[in-house]
Amino acid sequence: MHIPDGILPAPVCAAGYAIAGGVTWAALRQINRTAASPAEVPKAALLAAAFFVGSSLSLPIPPVSVHLMLTGLLGALLNWYAWPAILIGLLLQAILLGHGGLTTLGVNAVMAGVPALLAGQLFRLRHRLAKALSPRAALGIFSFLAGALGVGLTALIFFGLVVFTMPSTFDPATEQNLLTAFMVAHIPLVFLEGLFTALLCFFLLRVKPDLLK
Amino acid sequence: MAVGVHADIFIPGQSAIHRWATRPKLLSLLALMFAIAMVRHLVLLPWVFAVVIGLYLWSQLPLTYLLRRLPYPGMFIVAMVGLLPWLSGETVLWEWSFLALRLEGLQTAALIAGRFLAILTTGFVLLGTTPFLSLLEAMRSLGLPPLLTDMTLLTYRYLFDIANQFVTMRQAMRLRGYGHVRQTVSRQWGWLVALLGSLLLRSYEQSQRVYQAMRLRGYGHGTPPRYLSSHPSGRMTLALPTGLIWLAAISFVVGEFFLSPL
Repeated sequence: MHIPDGILPAPVCAAGYAIAGGVTWAALRQINRTAASPAEVPKAALLAAAFFVGSSLSLPIPPVSVHLMLTGLLGALLNWYAWPAILIGLLLQAILLGHGGLTTLGVNAVMAGVPALLAGQLFRLRHRLAKALSPRAALGIFSFLAGALGVGLTALIFFGLVVFTMPSTFDPATEQNLLTAFMVAHIPLVFLEGLFTALLCFFLLRVKPDLLK
Repeated sequence: MAVGVHADIFIPGQSAIHRWATRPKLLSLLALMFAIAMVRHLVLLPWVFAVVIGLYLWSQLPLTYLLRRLPYPGMFIVAMVGLLPWLSGETVLWEWSFLALRLEGLQTAALIAGRFLAILTTGFVLLGTTPFLSLLEAMRSLGLPPLLTDMTLLTYRYLFDIANQFVTMRQAMRLRGYGHVRQTVSRQWGWLVALLGSLLLRSYEQSQRVYQAMRLRGYGHGTPPRYLSSHPSGRMTLALPTGLIWLAAISFVVGEFFLSPL
């Protein structure tokens, strides 16, 4: 879900950069405050590269297949580092693959990065419910919610932007039908991304629980 | 995979755009891209294209460089440009059954496609004439936090390595029967979870070794390292390209300003 160059008007692109700048400042502040260990930098960078590569994976849902976004999982594993990881991932995707764009980098970063940060915070809520739920159940529920929130919120921001920037000559009835169809088509994706994130978290719990701390 | 195909983003050369110092080049071309994004009148598009084509020719990048990268515009822009002439607007130009080609939609689609091509080509000029490490160095000198530049460098450095590992792992998975023998969806998902999980695990373990190597080389102590490109670009702050590009960017903004009340 990348918005390419040329679609959004310049003020929206500039606003995207301004918001992305603010979130970068806040994320770096949190990183310096909570996880000042320099060991986190290579860990976040290499996991960002792995996510970049892994997002090319297509998931079979007969008769079709879908691509994963993995923003919720990124937030769950990297917490505040998810923001720089997404920013860098989007920059490299624009440069190497031509996906997204340089003028829309800020908008795309906000669209994918803010949901990832929120998903990361949601995933960490499982520790608070450790007494009410078993650790395994809490991991399953919150990893599912983090994965679903990551893609769901991204889709909502994306549709908001499309509605906001759609030409005024668009027929309102057609616009509403198209957007409803897009929204409905994304509901299964939200569920699937949540499910895949939960399965992956269980896999990591089995082989490397350190990654989920 | 695609990551490997487009690793050669920088094309060495001796053009003025290649020799243009990275910092003013980055700022000037980003300003040009934003000025193009501001264009809302079709009448300005020929001027935009004249500037961008002139810039591309000046950079002496081969045409194949552009043509190889253009087929990756993403489904979104293809859908938007393809659907707009049929769904947006009131002035019907041609009609057949339920299909109606509309003038306003056609104009908007042309504007979006034109801006997209112009910005993309400008971006290719920037990336094709500047080594990635020089871009990072310029971004750091412009105030980008060291954590971001360090992470970008590491991600870029290990991206191709991890992509190769991923290709090998997928191939191994196929050799063990994935995609060839009939399997249930849940079993296929199990394979894919293990594939992505193993990739994350390998990357995590590799990051521990990378960190230890970085510490041994002094990372985290003293002054931050300088990024040295294997293709050092010229250090000339060429006044001519800087002036011309800013002039073109301002002309788009001024043109848009005068056309807006119409």
